[in-house]
Amino acid sequence: MPKLIIDEREITVPEGTKVIDAAERMGIMIPRFCYHPALGAVGACRVCAVNCLDGPIKGIQMSCMIDAQDGMKVSTTDAEAVDFRKHVIEWLMLHHPHDCPVCDEGGHCLLQDLTVSGGHGVRRFQGPKRTHTDQHLGPLVRHEMNRCIQCYRCVRYYQEFTGYEDLGVMQIGSRVYYGRYRPGTLESPFSGNLIDICPTGVYTDKPSRYRGRRWDFERRPAVCLHCALGCHVTVSARYREVVRQEARFSESINGHFICDRGRYGFPYVNLPQRPRSARVDGTETGWEAALKTAGERLESVAWKTGPQGIAVVGSARCGLETQGMLKRVADAKGWQGPVLDIDPAAANVRTAVSRLDSDLQVSLREIETADCIVVVSADPLNEAPMLAPALRQARRNGARVTVIDPRPASLPFQFDHFPVAPDDLAAAMAILIRKCAEKEPLSELGKTAVRSIEAVSDGADIPDADGLAALYDDLHNSRRPVIVCGTHTAPPEIPGMAADLALLLRIAGPRAGLFYVMPGPNSFGAALLSDPAPSFGDLVSAIEKGEIKALVVAESDLFGSGIDWDRLRNAMNKLELLVTLDYIDSPTTRAAHILIPTLTSYETPSLLINNEGRVQQSPAAFRGGDPIARTGGGDHPPRAFRRDIPGREMGAAWTALLTLGGRDPGSAPVNLTAWLGEAHPALTSLPEASDFPPDGVRLPLAENAVERFQTDRFSHGEKEEDALTLLVVDRTFGTEELSSLSSILKELTPSPFIHIHPEDAAELGLSEGDAVGIDSEAGTTVLPINLTPEMARGVLVIPRRRDLDDRLPQERRTVLSKTAIRKATEDA
Amino acid sequence: MLPTNVKQMLNQQIQAAEHPRELAIDIMMAVQDHYGYLSDEALEEAAAIVGVDPLKLEELATFYTFLYREPVGRYVIHICDSVICWMNGYESLRDHLCKKLGIQMGETTPDGLFTLLPVCCIGYCDRSPAMLINKKAYGPLTPAKIDEILETLRAEAAETTPS
Amino acid sequence: MAETTDTAYPQVLFANRKLDRIAAIDDYRKNGGYEAIETVLKTFSPKDVQKLIQDSNLLGRGGAAFPAGMKLQTVADDAPFPRYIVCNADEMEPGTFKDRVLLHADPHLLIEGMLIDAYSARAEKGIVFIRPEYENAARILEREVAIAEKAGFLGKNILGSDFNFSIDVHRSGGRYICGEVTAQLNALEGKRPNPRKPPPYPTEFGLWGKPTVTQNVETLCCMPPILRNGAQWFKDLALTETGAGTKLYGISGRVKKPGCFELPMGVRLSEIIDEHAGGMAEGSEFKACLPGGASTRYLTREHYDIPMDFESLKAVGMRLGTAAIMVFDQSDCMVGVTHNLMEFFARESCGWCTPCREGIPYIKDILWRIENGLGEERFVPMLERECRHLWNAYCAFAPGAAAPLEGLLNDFQDEVLDHIREKKCPFKASV
Ligand SMILES: Cc1cc2nc3c(=O)[nH]c(=O)nc-3n(C[C@H](O)[C@H](O)[C@H](O)COP(=O)(O)O)c2cc1C
Ligand code: SF4
Ligand code: SF4
Ligand code: SF4
Ligand code: FES
Ligand code: FES
Repeated sequence: MPKLIIDEREITVPEGTKVIDAAERMGIMIPRFCYHPALGAVGACRVCAVNCLDGPIKGIQMSCMIDAQDGMKVSTTDAEAVDFRKHVIEWLMLHHPHDCPVCDEGGHCLLQDLTVSGGHGVRRFQGPKRTHTDQHLGPLVRHEMNRCIQCYRCVRYYQEFTGYEDLGVMQIGSRVYYGRYRPGTLESPFSGNLIDICPTGVYTDKPSRYRGRRWDFERRPAVCLHCALGCHVTVSARYREVVRQEARFSESINGHFICDRGRYGFPYVNLPQRPRSARVDGTETGWEAALKTAGERLESVAWKTGPQGIAVVGSARCGLETQGMLKRVADAKGWQGPVLDIDPAAANVRTAVSRLDSDLQVSLREIETADCIVVVSADPLNEAPMLAPALRQARRNGARVTVIDPRPASLPFQFDHFPVAPDDLAAAMAILIRKCAEKEPLSELGKTAVRSIEAVSDGADIPDADGLAALYDDLHNSRRPVIVCGTHTAPPEIPGMAADLALLLRIAGPRAGLFYVMPGPNSFGAALLSDPAPSFGDLVSAIEKGEIKALVVAESDLFGSGIDWDRLRNAMNKLELLVTLDYIDSPTTRAAHILIPTLTSYETPSLLINNEGRVQQSPAAFRGGDPIARTGGGDHPPRAFRRDIPGREMGAAWTALLTLGGRDPGSAPVNLTAWLGEAHPALTSLPEASDFPPDGVRLPLAENAVERFQTDRFSHGEKEEDALTLLVVDRTFGTEELSSLSSILKELTPSPFIHIHPEDAAELGLSEGDAVGIDSEAGTTVLPINLTPEMARGVLVIPRRRDLDDRLPQERRTVLSKTAIRKATEDA
Repeated sequence: MLPTNVKQMLNQQIQAAEHPRELAIDIMMAVQDHYGYLSDEALEEAAAIVGVDPLKLEELATFYTFLYREPVGRYVIHICDSVICWMNGYESLRDHLCKKLGIQMGETTPDGLFTLLPVCCIGYCDRSPAMLINKKAYGPLTPAKIDEILETLRAEAAETTPS
Repeated sequence: MAETTDTAYPQVLFANRKLDRIAAIDDYRKNGGYEAIETVLKTFSPKDVQKLIQDSNLLGRGGAAFPAGMKLQTVADDAPFPRYIVCNADEMEPGTFKDRVLLHADPHLLIEGMLIDAYSARAEKGIVFIRPEYENAARILEREVAIAEKAGFLGKNILGSDFNFSIDVHRSGGRYICGEVTAQLNALEGKRPNPRKPPPYPTEFGLWGKPTVTQNVETLCCMPPILRNGAQWFKDLALTETGAGTKLYGISGRVKKPGCFELPMGVRLSEIIDEHAGGMAEGSEFKACLPGGASTRYLTREHYDIPMDFESLKAVGMRLGTAAIMVFDQSDCMVGVTHNLMEFFARESCGWCTPCREGIPYIKDILWRIENGLGEERFVPMLERECRHLWNAYCAFAPGAAAPLEGLLNDFQDEVLDHIREKKCPFKASV
């Protein structure tokens, strides 16, 4: 631990700390442009100069380039260093436009700050300013190259950090240019970070142009809702709309960056179609009135059918408050449910949650330090976008990354892919488990493990089974292996097998970790707070049988449950009462007899448990209510002045549920924290809202020995000859419920198609681009095919676009007979 | 499109290389030799051969002096404007060339034969003032010598261009 | 020994230089060529070679004057393989053309030099990084490498030993910065040739992450004679106590006979100009010279007799650089000359760091204004500040650019002020 003196104060820092960081620890913020903790030091801008007065290195040095060493005496205020730093600013301003007032970065620009604070106000250079042409970079990022100060952050971020190659640096000397080979939409789904990372206004947020200045916004921290990772964002809101989001640093989860889905998924909050007034049978009523009517009607259903004639449903996007309240109300009232996760993956998530021991938990950031990673039945880029850069950092640190998944995996780095068909995934996992059990004299446990996989047929045609066996050796010899396991398309036995493998590895030596990919921002909470039965499918059957007459649905669109739409429509028609509480317009809100609008997580605080079992708090970013764009009817400024916030009558879903449960919200203070503790023991010691740590709290997860090495979980029977498995899978853009409502991301959402292995296509007499019809329960789906050699045989993959859901089969994994697949033109 | 034999040869070079990217400049030069300059098409073909995104080659092509991303004439004249040649009369020679060819620096003659570009010291200061035409050095130059060189090249071009 | 020069000084590097043609392998062998590598392979360990070169006091001839033997010794014994030898034949320093002359004179001398170097670093692959302007030399080298290979001096199991070595010629796309060792490594890897900041040093982590020794053409060519004749012999070749070996001095500008001369290290500037270069050109009077390329300070009349070796120049705050002497006379405007040099540096700056990318064009702009009658008194302190701060750039390029500007401000400030006061270039007026 070197001890050094900076500006006459002594500090001891860990080995390898840069002087610039050592100073920052002492509260001395040395200027910087090119240095960024995530991208490292490159010494390009030279604005971080300090003077080393004494010690192993002397003279003017770049504080980002030198490690703190014993005996160093550093001055950041030394006249020579200050003069040089000022001069760097003068150099950078030689060609920079002098128009901060109209620049979109103005007010939150590092260059502006340092120029003003350095006192550079007089232009001495008399030459002309250099100019560049800007490029169109797509709907998210605006490009203004004249503002560039050549810090190289953007290329380093784009190419080195995230591994995309369509943005780079061209030209030489004072004409260096950062951009694309040709103008066009940036290919990286992480491109929005360019906006955050560029220290000046070259890359700015395109969708929020002309919507306000940094200081006009209410800026608040929040947690992203668009997948289960729970990345940290900063929300900017104005006039009761969310205008912009930025990445917010999180030590344990996303580091400095977020994905574009997370950044631009927010417009659902502002949509004109968003339900903002309560409706009873299609007629607007007040919020309280609607709740009152709902309560009465529910009472009357209960009176007729008994409480079990009513069921409550939530979703993986409900906060813990709402999930907990659903459970509390259902328990109190004797209603059926709650079903907290209607996603077809719910059962897998449940397995995952039950198997994630505290010993095995790894955070997203910890993945970066793993040295051998096996991703099974998951598609990081599409299911949990920020997992991809985390894996890439591991790879950059030398890790081996292997994907075992039928889909055409694509990741921005070099990895191994075993394209194993869904039916064979268990056999693939069994190879790894068997090797592990055999290799180690694991005694009883090893034997149990071997027994557990006996039922797995080893006749499976796994491409490169030897390769898998060799992979085991790498896992075994690694220091920190991590098994990443998906839940979305995984056959039911896979999440458990992944846990078994991690467990065996851990016993065999290496510090193995386990990381599950889950579909929703609070899938974990849903699994924790609800029981396996009834499932949503059970509820639908009960409705069909007339056993359930009323449904209370909180923040959940039943048409995303994987159940065939016609069946679902018929079932819902049989309901006497559908009460829907939600903040988005969906087929479920449209079908509601009583619609209760609710606040989004931007407008009311919510607790969420991410895929790792980390409870996070997303505080309210602004007070909800009708946006001024709506109330003003286009006026500017709005003329109707009033004290209260229009449209603020609505509340959080959980408060509405509280009322439905028969409690007058005004009556007694509710202790949510205590209630959550009652709902699940793992939630007993959650901190109070005011002192929730920035990175949340990791739940203590009990080991669940009962579920290990189960032998009876292998569900699949005989493999059908002449059958293909159809997978309907997630895409980065266009699948996730809330972000698929984003107008901003529309342009990035590709039109749907079917991936098929060329050999399968040949057998079926299909060729690239053919329109192909698939007959399923949902009717016939016609889509063009895309021949994809890097996927499993015997599988069709359709990337799901939620806005076209009614045209796609609802089940995520269906077995189709080959005869169900034809060239569509033959129909005509 | 590159002729198949050229393409094949370049592909072979790449395949034989331990690190294909180390041949990026060679491949671009070879493709440029074929097309006369690195058009977008040429650059993209070169990128396909090297096995990288065109941007990766653009990053290099725009860095170097001798990769031309804009059309150039059959003979690219680089006149040295560095210090020794400069003090030995670079400016008047440049003016002479411009007048003779009827073009400004950076331009190409309408017949597509000559392009005039400046270049930094080409390492022929002992034979200054000097210039480089298609990587062949000439110097010490005088207006008369320049005329002679241009004549020779014109004749060579006339001879080798099928009419 | 020498057939082509009329001096009495020993010709070591130019021993086989012919007036009319390139020395062939037979010419080279006739004069003892490839004997050194034979001896080395038979009786020397890699360490012996390193030590001999270290003892010979051979300093790098590429400009930085780093001890060649010491560089070899920084390749750790347990450093990984493969290791690389890079011959720096980029030679883009303005005024410098010695490597060109050497390559055209005796290519096998370089090949043998690389062999010796490679043997001592236990490298199996050599690369000659050559500027595109030297296409002719590149072809010669490729041809002669093939000949050497046929003769058994390159390839596998050279001369029956277990030493393997091959040489590739890599043509640059043409940029001055590619001559800088670390930028050159990036260039060789097909990356943008921005320099890399050590540590790690190239001899630990160089080309493709493997130990790499980069040396200048002339440095490598000194090795066979050293191996043949010994360290002491090499040291004795120099005229000064501190120098070692002979040196190729390139001279151009206002002299009668510009050219490249092999002279003992430490020969006086006056002798080089007055005797070897045939004296100042007709009507020319020595005003100043750049002693070693564009990245050195002007040497004025006061130092006309200075011994031209690394130490002597260092003692007066100058650098020998590449020993490319560019001579100016009374008619040359030093503002104009410096402006021209800045044009060069501005054009060639790689664009990585702020001082160089922005500072040099800034300086160029100011000098242009002074030269064109738009000068102001306040420009002088502004230039001084630029100059000082250029030293804090990322690589040695910018301090190199600062050198002639420092010279201008120190030794020719009157000339600068004359421009400013007269609102024109006094030299142009006199023409
Ligand atoms: C901007 C710059 C350009 C350089 N160009 C060359 C060059 O063209 N040839 C060369 O041999 N050394 C050049 N050098 C010096 C090299 O960095 C390096 O010191 C040298 O090649 C090492 O070989 P040596 O030890 O044999 O001199 C250059 C250095 C800088 C900073
Ligand atoms: S565009 Fe922005 S991030 Fe990229 S180099 Fe320029 S200033 Fe830096
Ligand atoms: S990775 Fe997931 S949580 Fe993170 S920003 Fe993207 S969608 Fe949001
Ligand atoms: S000083 Fe900076 S800009 Fe100049 S060549 Fe070196 S790294 Fe490039
Ligand atoms: S921050 Fe240190 S050089 Fe840019
Ligand atoms: S200055 Fe022109 S060749 Fe050197």
